[in-house]
Amino acid sequence: MAPEDHTSALPATLLIEDEQERGYGHVLPLIDGNKTYSQVTEEVFSTTERMPPLKWWLALSVSLSLLLLGAWAVTQTVTRGIGTWGLNRTVGWAFDITNFVFWVGIGHAGTLISAILFLFRQRWRTSINRAAEAMTIFAVMCAGTFPIIHMGRPWLAFWATPYPNTRGPLWVNFKSPLLWDVFAISTYFIISLTFWYLGMVPDLATMRDRAKTKVRKAIFSIFSLGWNGSNRTWSRYETVYMLLAGLSTPLVISVHTIVSMDFATSVIPGWHATIFPPYFVAGAVFSGFAMVLTLMIIARKVMDLEEYITVRHLEAMTKVIIATGMIVGMAYGTEFFMAWYSGNNFERYVFINRALGPFKWAYWSMVSCNVIIPQLFWIRKVRTTPWMIFILSIFVNIGMWFERFVIIVTSLHRDYLPSSWAMYTPTFVEVAIFLGSFGLFFTCFLIFTRLLPMIAASEVKGVLKHEEH
Amino acid sequence: MRSTDAITLTRFRASFADPHLLLEAVKRLKQEGYPIIDTYSPFPVHGMDEAIGLKPSRLPRACLAFGLLGLATALGVQIWTSAYDYPLIVGGKPLVSLPAFIPVSFELTVLFAGLGVVASLFVASGMRPKFKVPDLHPGVNDDRFVVAGEIQAGASFTVVQSLMASLGALETELLVEDKSQTDHSLLDREAKPLAFLLAAIPAVLVLAALPLLNRNYLKRNLAWDGGMMAPVAYQSFDPHPSLPGGQVLQTPPAGTVSRKGLVPLPYGPGKVEAERAGLELKNPFQPSQENFSRGKLVYDRSCAACHGLDGDNNSSVIVARGLLAPAILVAPVVRDMPDGRLFHVATFGGPQKMKGLGDLISRDDRWKVVLYIRELQRAAAPKPLPAPPPSTGATS
Repeated sequence: MAPEDHTSALPATLLIEDEQERGYGHVLPLIDGNKTYSQVTEEVFSTTERMPPLKWWLALSVSLSLLLLGAWAVTQTVTRGIGTWGLNRTVGWAFDITNFVFWVGIGHAGTLISAILFLFRQRWRTSINRAAEAMTIFAVMCAGTFPIIHMGRPWLAFWATPYPNTRGPLWVNFKSPLLWDVFAISTYFIISLTFWYLGMVPDLATMRDRAKTKVRKAIFSIFSLGWNGSNRTWSRYETVYMLLAGLSTPLVISVHTIVSMDFATSVIPGWHATIFPPYFVAGAVFSGFAMVLTLMIIARKVMDLEEYITVRHLEAMTKVIIATGMIVGMAYGTEFFMAWYSGNNFERYVFINRALGPFKWAYWSMVSCNVIIPQLFWIRKVRTTPWMIFILSIFVNIGMWFERFVIIVTSLHRDYLPSSWAMYTPTFVEVAIFLGSFGLFFTCFLIFTRLLPMIAASEVKGVLKHEEH
Repeated sequence: MRSTDAITLTRFRASFADPHLLLEAVKRLKQEGYPIIDTYSPFPVHGMDEAIGLKPSRLPRACLAFGLLGLATALGVQIWTSAYDYPLIVGGKPLVSLPAFIPVSFELTVLFAGLGVVASLFVASGMRPKFKVPDLHPGVNDDRFVVAGEIQAGASFTVVQSLMASLGALETELLVEDKSQTDHSLLDREAKPLAFLLAAIPAVLVLAALPLLNRNYLKRNLAWDGGMMAPVAYQSFDPHPSLPGGQVLQTPPAGTVSRKGLVPLPYGPGKVEAERAGLELKNPFQPSQENFSRGKLVYDRSCAACHGLDGDNNSSVIVARGLLAPAILVAPVVRDMPDGRLFHVATFGGPQKMKGLGDLISRDDRWKVVLYIRELQRAAAPKPLPAPPPSTGATS
């Protein structure tokens, strides 16, 4: 600690002063442990430089097994056809599109944390934004696989893009929400990846400077783009980062809005509703924050990052959950009101059928997981106890999956023609693809935690000695 | 080097442990008139832009320009493809329906603006893969805050050194111009990984060429087993799972009346089959006025154009055109053929020229035509009668 004598002479203010001034009685530190800059460097980067512990390998083997199961199921689908799924003439969208919307929604929290909280100058985001952005990217990857497999002939998926082709003047239909989806999801993925990478460049430079082997140095020399911490570069970099945050904010809202239009622009009772865009965006943030909490509570424990991802971070996220959870709850109520107020018999029937019909177990699982159980977050003890937050976040994850299942399947299985009414049960192949998407997600996330700095060290250093802005 | 007051070495660098000390030092150096080259820090130090006199970046303008380019591209592609190159009316909407174009236009605006501004940043700041990073202080990405400045002619390094030390600098050093650091040409750079990659290219090319060179063009290409070659969905004429013995369709119950023409005909084309048909088949229709008139109708429509109205080629259209001479139906050879043989010829075609008409004339009609042909032959065969009166011959 000899070289740090100079820093230890300076008082490190670990509480957020403006919040103290505003008179909040209950202020938790942003970063615990009275750390120096080089301590942050050491603690964040050393995990990427040594072999992972046994528990990491165990987790990787579980998620790789799930991924392989998913790969088997996708192979079944591709070689033997969509007949391996439980879809029928009436329920043409079910597990696949449910999972697609579920994963896209998960992704939204990452962008919200990295972009919207950045614009609102919420400095607590610095500890979690890197991991949350990684989560976004992996979640969008999981989401993207579902519509592609759902096409039935995934090797022709490029037909969804407008490119000059040999099929005469034949172009994609720009008036279709499904095409809007193609553009929204791919733009979202590219911009999120760019944002994530740009935010990582200073940390990649630190990894380059710390590299012991030549290969490692060469790899990080390529990706750190000659970063030397120059103030001129920092100045431009901050401008661009701000611009990207400004671009990502409407982007993230547009993505789930467009996803909701896949349903809302149809004439299916239960889908044909103008409330869908805000309802879906709130639900996406809600489910995304639940997934961030699930991941972060595991990660801070497993990776010994409790001093970086503090209870304060967790508590802030639970507040977002309770706010968005209530928006979602209100949307459930509004849907029923609209069905009644519309005077449309089909619309009314769909909602009565949702709550009391053959899928009522799914509907009431959704309501209890999304609306009732999160109310426990009003209790401070629950908000500040990690294991309780963890359990509640799992409930929200389950509830939000059921929300998409309820919207898609209950609306489709009984629409206008009673002669076409049908039931839907997933097959093993469909369940295996869903499990496989979790395998893909966790495999990517686990590899990320050991390969790249999980905490944005350069940003954390900036808030370490939190002084006047 | 530390003790020298040499005027030739003009650049110096001082490092600090705290951003505030750096900011103070920069302000002080400015006051004293030392030109600042740049500062280096692990995170952006706020207030530094003003202290070293940096103007706000012009990158937001680049962002706007790229965004507008994206918007124009999106609108151009959508309007051109939807209204001009492939005008397709969807849902009764106008070809150029701008509200429907909003989502894609928005997404492409964001995509172009985002990628464009990041690319502009990389160009403006010279950010690209570098194996030797210029002006890199070893601790700057960890916990050091560094200022680089110039000593003007006549000034002393020791003065700067003591000034910096008094402001809390951990160390102050003179920078020697390093040619290797300023020369960024790709080929001149010391780059072992790059050399390794270049050396690997021939090996990769050879490996890639081997499958092509060894390829056997007589064998079928490797097939991608993705084309749903073994679908689980029911295919037409698959054995039905609930029928015994791999049956496709159920056997009809006894006494079922078949639909016309759907009874199988257990004969194929060819001479052998034709003779078998001649032995086995009997005309199911008895000569009657009704059957004759039906046979005549079908014969006149389908047969007479080639064989002539009387089966003797006299009024044959194709013979009159000099094309083909069909078999003469009233000739003794044909007269001696059994009914089944004639039916087989009508169904599958003759031994030489005639095309089978089984798919054009129904089975019952073909039998009735056979009846009618027999009638024609009877009319033509008995020649004991004297020649017809010349008047009829002249008129026909």
